[in-house]
Amino acid sequence: MAKTASIAEGKRKAGRRYKGFSSWNNYLFLLPALLFMAIFIVYPIAYNVVLSFQDVDIYNFRQERNFVGLDNYVQTFRDPVFGTSFVNSVIFTVLSIVFQFTIGFALALFFNMKFPGRNLFRSLTLLSWMLPVVITGTIFQWMLSGDYGVVNALLQSVGILDAPYNWLSEPKTALLATVVANIWTGIPFNMIILLSGLQTLPEHLYEAAKLDGANKWLQFRHITLPLLRPTLLVLLMLGIIYTFKVFDLVFIMTNGGPVNSSTVLPIYAYQLSFSTFEFSRGAAVSMIMFAMLIVIAIFYLRLTSKEEAN
Amino acid sequence: MAQMQIPSAGLREEPRRKVRWQPWAKTALSLLMLAVFLFPVYWMIRTSMTPVTALYQNPPQIFPANPSMDAYLDNFVRNRDMLRYIGNSFIIATGTMVLSLLIAVPAAYALARLPLKGKALIMILLLSIQMLPGIMMAMPLFIMFSRVGLIDNYAGLIFADLIHSLPFAVITLRPFFLGLPSGLEEAAKIDGCNKFSAFVRIILPLVKPGLMTVAVFCFLFGWGDFIFALTLSSSDTVKPLTLGLYSFIGQYGTEWNNLMAVATIAALPIIVIFITMQRYVVGGVTSGAMKD
Repeated sequence: MAKTASIAEGKRKAGRRYKGFSSWNNYLFLLPALLFMAIFIVYPIAYNVVLSFQDVDIYNFRQERNFVGLDNYVQTFRDPVFGTSFVNSVIFTVLSIVFQFTIGFALALFFNMKFPGRNLFRSLTLLSWMLPVVITGTIFQWMLSGDYGVVNALLQSVGILDAPYNWLSEPKTALLATVVANIWTGIPFNMIILLSGLQTLPEHLYEAAKLDGANKWLQFRHITLPLLRPTLLVLLMLGIIYTFKVFDLVFIMTNGGPVNSSTVLPIYAYQLSFSTFEFSRGAAVSMIMFAMLIVIAIFYLRLTSKEEAN
Repeated sequence: MAQMQIPSAGLREEPRRKVRWQPWAKTALSLLMLAVFLFPVYWMIRTSMTPVTALYQNPPQIFPANPSMDAYLDNFVRNRDMLRYIGNSFIIATGTMVLSLLIAVPAAYALARLPLKGKALIMILLLSIQMLPGIMMAMPLFIMFSRVGLIDNYAGLIFADLIHSLPFAVITLRPFFLGLPSGLEEAAKIDGCNKFSAFVRIILPLVKPGLMTVAVFCFLFGWGDFIFALTLSSSDTVKPLTLGLYSFIGQYGTEWNNLMAVATIAALPIIVIFITMQRYVVGGVTSGAMKD
């Protein structure tokens, strides 16, 4: 009652009325989180920016540094490995997303039907997503290994391969092998998000369509897809961002090799920072990656705010 | 008229004929798909129980004839290195979980229910942090931490893991607070609570499911972390199991039964949590990813 009365009198009065709940000490609840973010997130990012304009490596990182302007960025763009890793990152991301998304979507449609045990099966698929990536990488390394890997054995027994093939140490297939493992981890995430989207769609639209004689495909094309559009867009955007920064899986399976054939941008940044210890070069690569992600993130935030407005 | 009859005729027949077998056919189909999909997990467990002699058989047996526990005995009973890694993983994962909750819960509450300025900005900041590549944080943290002695330190690893678990926790918890009825704090105040005791005594017990979900996921973040363990620790004293498994690959190369035994043990807490906390897990997948 107090609330309705105060609406007309404006916010000032409402503020006074719930004094205990609207004063400065509300910020105390946020303080630990803000402090943490300032020290461990904002500061390191700012530090990264500064580093990328200096000449810091393992020898001088405790001492005075020199500013070198855009040198690190120029060097990065001149380095052919940067181009290779960028292309690899794009291939890795696009292939992963296409397959995760379509397989996840198909599974979501399947699990959206009612049948005994569907909840159990649906959540069991999540196991692949929850497994630490190091474990996933190790399992796939073993399954794809040349001489005794189960994948080769399988392909040989059905006659696709004549001789064992070393998926991870051939430049032609190393990146693809990491993509396969990444698809496997990503399918459940796509499925669960799409499934929760599907479950919000109103049943009566499908009943009406059925009465009009629309078959399953037409229903999918004209009801499911348009209504699910916001979910699809957000999911694709998030998928791109998450996939673009995948590091562990590639590091474990191939470490970027052979001869950079599977080096993606995070691996490239890692090698500069922690193999050759050229911190400033690594920082520059991180900044370039960051810029790419920001572009995608801006799209993402605009999409979510548009969705909120609807 | 004709148009009206066709669907109703269909409706009359469909339920009777299809209801009996079709759902079970779907169950069978999903069982089959699940078996294919989770084959890698099966293969990990199978390999861990394969004796060395049967390891390099071609073609490999899908079901091992005589399973052996040697790999487990070798790596966890005779050799104790892995036990230390497991202990480290538990310390790091538990620390990540506790600290994430301590910091994120009040923040999520404030962002959901208290009048504050700049809420939208903070939410955007949190969403963006989730998108940061780990390597971008690892390098500056390495330099920062090596100055203040946080390299090779549990606290250092926990702080680093919090970079991803904290925003996740706040974003996931906020909707739980938003979903509570609006007069709660005022009622609590009338009953003599102040802002902080109302939060602890009245509000927190009501969002228990949310707290469980977040706790489970933050633990998993800490347990599964690799990049920070790789870059911010070098000695065995704090190395978690993920890193132990990785260095094991380098050391033992192709002793896949040993590797898979270690991998299985590393996966075990995940599988246990997964089975016991299933309902919290499914909720966490969607809430962290989407807007509220």
